[in-house]
Amino acid sequence: MAKSSLDKKFDKIREIEESKSFSTKKRSRIISKFVNNKLAVFGLIVFSIILLATIFAPLLSPYDPMRVDLRSMRQSPSLEHWFGTDNTGRDVFTRVLFGGRVSIFIGLGSAILSALVGIAVGCYAGYKGGWIDVIALRISEIFMSFPQIILVLLLVSITGQSLFNLMAIFIVTGWGGMYRLARARMLSLREEEYVQALRSFGLSTFTICYKHMLPNALSPIMVNITLSTAMFILTEAGLSFLGLGVPLNIPTWGNILNVAQDILVLQNYWWMWGPVGIVISVFVLCVNFIGDGLRDSTDPSQQG
Amino acid sequence: MLLVISFLVYLGLELAPGDAVSHMISPELASTITEEQLNAMREAYGLNQSFLTRYWLWLTSMVQGDMGYSMAGGVAISEIMAKTIPATLELSIVALIFSTIIGCSLGVISALKRGSGTDNSLTVAGMAGVSIPEFFFGLVAILLFAIELRWLPVGGRLLPHYENVWDRIPNIVLPSMVLALMMTAGAMRYARSSMLDVLSREFITTARSKGMPEWRINILHGFRVALTPVVVLIGFRLPLLIGGSTIIEQVYQWPGIGSMFIRSVRASDYPLVMTISLMYVFVVLTASLVIDILTALIDPRVRLGKE
Repeated sequence: MAKSSLDKKFDKIREIEESKSFSTKKRSRIISKFVNNKLAVFGLIVFSIILLATIFAPLLSPYDPMRVDLRSMRQSPSLEHWFGTDNTGRDVFTRVLFGGRVSIFIGLGSAILSALVGIAVGCYAGYKGGWIDVIALRISEIFMSFPQIILVLLLVSITGQSLFNLMAIFIVTGWGGMYRLARARMLSLREEEYVQALRSFGLSTFTICYKHMLPNALSPIMVNITLSTAMFILTEAGLSFLGLGVPLNIPTWGNILNVAQDILVLQNYWWMWGPVGIVISVFVLCVNFIGDGLRDSTDPSQQG
Repeated sequence: MLLVISFLVYLGLELAPGDAVSHMISPELASTITEEQLNAMREAYGLNQSFLTRYWLWLTSMVQGDMGYSMAGGVAISEIMAKTIPATLELSIVALIFSTIIGCSLGVISALKRGSGTDNSLTVAGMAGVSIPEFFFGLVAILLFAIELRWLPVGGRLLPHYENVWDRIPNIVLPSMVLALMMTAGAMRYARSSMLDVLSREFITTARSKGMPEWRINILHGFRVALTPVVVLIGFRLPLLIGGSTIIEQVYQWPGIGSMFIRSVRASDYPLVMTISLMYVFVVLTASLVIDILTALIDPRVRLGKE
């Protein structure tokens, strides 16, 4: 019997099906959707450039971010000092790079750590329910009934200022949202049949919720991590701008902006605070683009 | 809930380094003061009593409306609050109104022109709005409008001898606009998605099939239905706004509760820090209760408890 054109088509489809397994196909669809999102790609590129620039800061700049040079203070931007120098003659460009290290580290680090805490508690409590869940829910409610910045300031006044304290505070204030997210996903996944099957196999609770259920909850969590990175970087900048974040001797983006509280600096030396502000804005914007791109490519329910 | 939080905050401040007495004495005095004198001071302020007793005393006086005194300057906290809260409310409400109007109209426009260049650029602008640090935006605005163009004052709320309502306006324009721009992005998103949702409903198709002109459909049918949930959500943001105004208040030297909070944190003025943060919690909890009730009243699908 001769093959009709329909048969040929089906052969082709079968070939494609057999050459790639289903899971890789699904993953590649997520990636291709992400790649097609121009904003997300743009964000990723600029994000990587800024990230690499801060990582390789010592190679890019001959100056020491901490070294005070009173002979060359308050110089406007030139070939020697790209962003000029500040009140004590430190090179602003160098400080932006080195400050970026700390700021990005704080933002990304606290986002990931608070996500880990939130997920660890959320998965287990969401799956198990019972008193663990009730207690964790109450605690997260307590943290969430403060406006975020107020809670952070309150904790800063209790613990005092340091890099470590600030990250700890961010984790303490940030895990609640992640916990709720993980818990909600777990509550809906808990009723699925594959989970019941796993339970009937006699797998331990631990294995079921961290190894089998967690991967299915991962994509909203990834999106949330990127968005909270952006938020933490902004909060750090705001706090340091007020002089209540990271101690002033460590350069961070917020600490560099701190000088702009002085109206003379604001008026006369734009290079001391302008470029930093733009770098922060661009970086956060890129992180938001990435987060948005991730959400669009992983979550089919949020179209349009 | 409020009780638990007040206890935790009290406990936290108790654990903070240094007690009230060590903040009261100057460094010069500290080198000469003896242990007995310190103890006498602690006795005088009731600090030698156990933690729980003091918490109980504080709590009962708080409920009776006596908030105690600020450690810096000894001003009654209730007096400070009475002075600063109206300023913050004034700022927040103006910002809320601005952001609601701008955000809703932009959101509706971008929903109506879905997928067009306008829509895309508005979305990007909205993301830029949440990405720029608000204080940086505020600084640029100061530089541009207050220093270079000299249209508006740099900061502050009211000059001493101007009491007229109209004299207040130039002062509030900059901080409230900056604050509003930060809020607009969120409002815009809500409005856009809600409008898109409504536009795909059947009654819009019905209206269209009756031959109604497009603008009437949009305004009479789409707009009204779409904006109800948006307005509720925006009302929900008022407490967020009060929290979010903290940094802007500081930038513009606005004498509100936020800048007062920052000052008290800097000075380790624990009674004040505590009262203000509890007030924030109170506002948030009350607002969420009110919103719950409001949504139940507006939306018949939501029911409170059993019925």
